[in-house]
Amino acid sequence: MLIRTPQDWELPESAATPESLYHLSKRRDFLKALGVGGAALAAREALAATAGFPSKVNADYRDPALKPTAYEHITSYNNFYEFGTDKAEPKVLANRGWTTEPWTVEVTGLVNNPLKLDVNEVVKKMGGAEQRVYRLRCVEAWSMVVPWDGFQLSKLIALADPKSEAKFVTFTTFLDKKSSPGQRQGNLPYPYIEGLRLDEAMNELSFIATGIYGKPIPHQNGAPLRLVVPWKYGFKCIKSIVKIELTDKQPLNTWQVLQAREYGFYANVNPQVDHPRWTQASERVIGGGLGRQKTLMFNGYEQQVASLYTGMDLRKNY
Amino acid sequence: MPNLVKLLRSQRVIWTLLVLPGLWPLWPIFISQNPSVTADPFKYVLHHLGFVACIVLAVVLSFSPLRVLWPQWGVAQALNRHRRLVGVAACVYAALHLCTHLLYEGGFEIAAIPTTLLTALDKPFQLTGLIAFAILLVLAVTSPHSAITWLGGKLWKNIHRLAYVAAGLAAYHQAAARKLFPLQVVWIFGPLVILEIARLWKQRRPKPAAAAITPSGAARSG
Repeated sequence: MLIRTPQDWELPESAATPESLYHLSKRRDFLKALGVGGAALAAREALAATAGFPSKVNADYRDPALKPTAYEHITSYNNFYEFGTDKAEPKVLANRGWTTEPWTVEVTGLVNNPLKLDVNEVVKKMGGAEQRVYRLRCVEAWSMVVPWDGFQLSKLIALADPKSEAKFVTFTTFLDKKSSPGQRQGNLPYPYIEGLRLDEAMNELSFIATGIYGKPIPHQNGAPLRLVVPWKYGFKCIKSIVKIELTDKQPLNTWQVLQAREYGFYANVNPQVDHPRWTQASERVIGGGLGRQKTLMFNGYEQQVASLYTGMDLRKNY
Repeated sequence: MPNLVKLLRSQRVIWTLLVLPGLWPLWPIFISQNPSVTADPFKYVLHHLGFVACIVLAVVLSFSPLRVLWPQWGVAQALNRHRRLVGVAACVYAALHLCTHLLYEGGFEIAAIPTTLLTALDKPFQLTGLIAFAILLVLAVTSPHSAITWLGGKLWKNIHRLAYVAAGLAAYHQAAARKLFPLQVVWIFGPLVILEIARLWKQRRPKPAAAAITPSGAARSG
């Protein structure tokens, strides 16, 4: 007989529904606000999955103690250097003519079944989207709670069928100087690159988001698809991915190239290892008023990911 | 131009110019309620106060080179009447910036302040800001005329030259506050550097005979 002990953060389905319904009902208003007309709206409906909705709440990843950050704050306080280094800039500059449709993403490298698909196709192949509520902890010592819609990364990687020698996954963001003022200025070496160890990428928490709060992911948050690895600092969650490549060498991620002393490959949230310029022991909660909360080891996902790092010196592998 | 000079000679005008930038955050936080700012309002206030402190410091340091370079210019003369006031304002903004940091880093718990200060000693980015503030505090405390007589003009002047050290530290501190080098450091401190170089160049070059006769003119500079 199988006895399943519910975990303390699990929530009955009934309790989860109202909020998601609430947000779904606002979807039309949202599209209207974007200036999407009737015909386009119908077209959008046909691509519902891709646009990040409708998505089913996955109660396994919905800690009732987490209070989601307001949609407005999630979509107005962004680090997306392709569209400016100021928090307010991406919302303006990423919505000034940059198009994310159509969007092709490829899964390539050490795989038996390389893929090159339209993002809509990807979501369909993944069986649609699900919603998970994750903490997001930025290396700048602030945090949010985001209801992401999307799919588990491991499903996509499994579809490409990695070869046995594949050990790492490299993610690459789009490169389009015409649309991206940051890339024109060259404020970072572009395209932006991030990487994970293959076992990290295959972890149940690793997620590809195509939506937020049941709505298609806004440009400034990394449309049309981005990585979400909630136990790592936010900069690991690469936005607007065009290429996922399996390799046998540890990739050099952009921030590590830029400032290796401050940003490492792993970038696991760790309250005991400070950033050279500030402490990581605590964090400001976006939209949370005066308060500050203690930062949790692996951002509160110790149970799910600690085993990935057994025997490793996390002070060295920051 | 004479009207501008008249305005700039007024202490009330200078007071207003110094206070207004400090009130600016009220606009995006309470009136326009910009979500990019309300997401983390204290971070905004913190950065803004530090930013204003840097600008005011760079501005007050530019007064004396302006007067050396253009001694007959009414604006430069008017501004130099307010050196003490503007200098103290730079210190006040730095103090408000530090207080915001101490409160906000500790989640507005008084008990957390010592830890926050200790962390600051540990990190060059924060320590440089702290030293810059300590210098400005010493300069503000010794800014009354009575301090000049008490310390003696020469010592007083040497102490007040530390303002340049504070500016250098503040520039570093401001640059290190962001993940990438912020260009604002260049436009805040760049003009000051140019003015100082021009001042040094003017003071070093062989003096025309007329200037040599009136040593009081040289004594006033600095």
